[in-house]
Amino acid sequence: MKNKSQKNVEKKITKRFFLLSVFKGIVVGAIGWRFFDLQMIENRKYEKLSDENQFNYDMIAPERGRILDRKMRLLAGNMDGFSLVLKYNKNTNIDKTIRKILTVININEKDLNNFYDQIKSRKKNDPKEILITKKLSQKDVSKLAVRSIEFPEIFFSMTKKRVYPQGIIAGHITGYTGPYSEKDNKINIKPYPLWLEVGKTGIEKYFDKELRGKFGRKRNEVTSRGHIIASQIYENTETGNDVQISLDMGLQAFAIERFERGNNTLVTLKNNIKNKKIENINNFSYVNKNHYYKDKKNKIVNPQSGSLIVMDIENGEILCCISSPGYDPNIFSDGLETNIWNNLKNDVTAPLLNRSMSGVYPPGSTIKMAVALAALESGIIDYNTHFFCSGSKELGSSTFHCWAKNGHGKINLMEAIEQSCDVYFYELGLKVGIDKIAVMLKKLGLGQYFDVEIDDKSKGVVPNIEWKLKRDGLKWSLGETLNASIGQGYILSTPLQLATMVSRIANGKFSVTPTLILNKNPDRFEPLNINQQYIDFIKNSMEKVVDGNKGTARNSQIGSKEIKMAGKTGTVQVVRISEAEREKGLIKNEDRPWNKRDHALFVGYAPISKPKYAISVVVEHGGSGSSVAAPIARDVFKYIFKV
Amino acid sequence: MSYKVNKFSEETYGNILFFKLLNLNWLIIICIIVLGFVGVASLYSAAGGDFEPWAKNHLVRLIIGIFLMIILAFLPFNIFFKFSVISFFLGIFALILVKFIGTGDVQRWISISGFNFQPSEFMKLALILTLAKYFDYISRTQLDNLITYLIPVFLIFIPGFLVISQPDLGTGLSVILLGFAILFYVGISMKFVILSFLLFTSSVPLIWNQLYDYQKNRILVFLNPEMDSLGSGYQIIQSKIAIGSGGIFGKGFLLGSQSRLNYLPEKHTDFIFTLISEELGFLGSISIILIFCILVFSIMKISFKVNSLFSKIVAFGVGFLIFLYLSLNIGMVCGLLPVVGAPLPLISYGGTSLLTVLIGVGIVLNINIHDKITY
Repeated sequence: MKNKSQKNVEKKITKRFFLLSVFKGIVVGAIGWRFFDLQMIENRKYEKLSDENQFNYDMIAPERGRILDRKMRLLAGNMDGFSLVLKYNKNTNIDKTIRKILTVININEKDLNNFYDQIKSRKKNDPKEILITKKLSQKDVSKLAVRSIEFPEIFFSMTKKRVYPQGIIAGHITGYTGPYSEKDNKINIKPYPLWLEVGKTGIEKYFDKELRGKFGRKRNEVTSRGHIIASQIYENTETGNDVQISLDMGLQAFAIERFERGNNTLVTLKNNIKNKKIENINNFSYVNKNHYYKDKKNKIVNPQSGSLIVMDIENGEILCCISSPGYDPNIFSDGLETNIWNNLKNDVTAPLLNRSMSGVYPPGSTIKMAVALAALESGIIDYNTHFFCSGSKELGSSTFHCWAKNGHGKINLMEAIEQSCDVYFYELGLKVGIDKIAVMLKKLGLGQYFDVEIDDKSKGVVPNIEWKLKRDGLKWSLGETLNASIGQGYILSTPLQLATMVSRIANGKFSVTPTLILNKNPDRFEPLNINQQYIDFIKNSMEKVVDGNKGTARNSQIGSKEIKMAGKTGTVQVVRISEAEREKGLIKNEDRPWNKRDHALFVGYAPISKPKYAISVVVEHGGSGSSVAAPIARDVFKYIFKV
Repeated sequence: MSYKVNKFSEETYGNILFFKLLNLNWLIIICIIVLGFVGVASLYSAAGGDFEPWAKNHLVRLIIGIFLMIILAFLPFNIFFKFSVISFFLGIFALILVKFIGTGDVQRWISISGFNFQPSEFMKLALILTLAKYFDYISRTQLDNLITYLIPVFLIFIPGFLVISQPDLGTGLSVILLGFAILFYVGISMKFVILSFLLFTSSVPLIWNQLYDYQKNRILVFLNPEMDSLGSGYQIIQSKIAIGSGGIFGKGFLLGSQSRLNYLPEKHTDFIFTLISEELGFLGSISIILIFCILVFSIMKISFKVNSLFSKIVAFGVGFLIFLYLSLNIGMVCGLLPVVGAPLPLISYGGTSLLTVLIGVGIVLNINIHDKITY
């Protein structure tokens, strides 16, 4: 039936059949192995990649913790606000959408720039919800909501807005918050900066970690085209912790009002006509719309600027910390326009400067206690050492004047402090030498940072021979010692350092350091190491300043038998008075231009029977310490002790 | 009389039909049906749990196709023998026609009253039949002569190059591969195999120059998918992610995130196996590959068993065709082969490959029946 050739073929086919079967087996085996490799061995890796495809995460901003005062009154809290958010999608024409939104509402330029930066730097797995602006007013919301059909790409999100109910009163202490920026690089947080508000200054900055809370996450299921088809809360947010600080807002409010008034009179505004009149006055930074101040000559003046600090001498808690002029931190919460910010920054009165801790002033006569203590401790003088004050002291070719033109005559240490005799302290300075004075000043808290809970602080200057050599390469001159002995010249201190100095004297036992939080570890103080007798002597002298017949602050007695105040005034020359001017007769302080007037200072404590609170008052260009600063301190103590 | 004759003939006809039904290879038919239903289920899942737009159509085509297959199985055997050469010329004609009236962005489809079909797929069957007839004829006189292989080489390369120039590199290469597998099967000498292999490798640079940019790109991306992770490499990367994330048991029917969220391209056609792997896992994928293997093996068994050389070659050709489809498609989705555009028969959405396979299997069933019936 079959020929030879056909049989041959069939034989061959059988061979080839098996060859090809082996080939097929190898191919199928290779495929099987490949699937085993992908699905069993590398499964984890691909599962992760699949999840990355399937899900992306949006951040949910946490609610920031509150800041409270010592009596649990709110200093910083949160209010409901609205944010405008774009649902990102590869296919949206972002420019067109934004332009359309801008025809309806205004968005501030900074936010817009931030928004575009976010769009540009977007990566594939970044969140789909992109913040346009956080500062949406109720009006904006309703304007957009009405036309929501035209804007399918955007939606509103309820966010919290920082609010400071005390406003300007404690602006420097609370500080303010703002959107996270690269500059805050200490905070290590991944790509969602715009949702994050971080503290920029003050307590908000210092306690940022505690206040911030923890971000939650929302998990979205996303298609390959970027559409979100479902989302759910994946991680809950954690509200930030509250921070309680040692300020007493009642005292703070009273003190700022009293401080700004100074010796002027308050006039309440009743109508707009007066308003305009005030705005037309040159060089007048009009702060409050409800009232203004008039001096004795009926001229309208600015509120006093400077600082006032009240500190507990036992535990260092700061009850009241004023820096004037201040700013209202609320303006940062509703989208600060660039020009307002620039005005604030460039204002000559420097409202952003926290004078209480960053402002430095020559301490003037307020450091005479330190000079006296340095002299007593070194044993150069005793309580009865006398010097003669003729009204001036000659040293080489120059003359150093006492504030009393005709001199104080023969005078001892206690009288010298009471009457703030400059010549006495010139003599003392010469005997003790600048280095010993510097050591005592540092012991009492000048020329150093404290670990108070505000980041921006100044160190001040406590000069000595070495300091000058290092700075200028020049030798220290005796004339400079004379200047330093009465707190002028190189020496500079912050109001906080002055308050600390007087706290340490009043405490007498410990080197009290200031703090803004309650119940901070009381063991943190080191012993003061000054002879208790000398301290008591200095305290007696300070009592005399207020109570004595010739005391410089005798007009500022509290007027209560139980509560008495002790202290020391200081009046700091801002401009050098030449010999010629002096002969012509001094121009009265009030007649000089404002920025050439003397600074008025007062440091003190009360009650004298059992010291509790220390105070330092610095009124910039306020005039004399006894007439301007001391009465403010008296009234603050009156408020504190309710007398 | 006429009544009697009539009765007799009816009886005979009935007997024959019964006999034929009995001799159908039911294992093959069951495999086909199972795979077809896997296809329906996968397409249902690909549409996100909906019979529209693919699963329903696929089911209808499947039913019609299986009927057609069984009808083909019952036809008289020599029809295929007779029509083999005609079908070849018809196929060539259609391939040339597609150049002029073809639809689609690359001209692969002919549209006849609403039905799109790809002549290149039918060409594969025509080639199998023609080569079978040729070797059946030659074997009666002489074989084992290199000259006898010259005509088949032409028969393979004419449709092969026509398809490649459509351009459809994948199908074209599979036509040529199929042809050479048959040549190898009927016993072409090893010398020739080695010679043609050398010829092919030396002509690779030449072929490379002839390729379209997108084809070059596909091959380059295959060699390194990360080269273009959002463009051409995207498909293969996403496909591997889907398969790999399936794990051993899969994410569950209808729960494949990669396919549901549209990360998988062509998830209802060429990449349907990826969807299956993602949702049913390693076990599911291997089971389906095994069913295909059973199908191919059963067909090969028929090829081994039957008597006539024509039948042997046809059955082998159809079996190898299914194997080729399977390995090209699955090799492609798991990244073993470049993305060439090869459907997975019976499961992918698309009528032409389904019909090709069903017709091919119908012919094999027919061979199986009629080889036993001796007229």
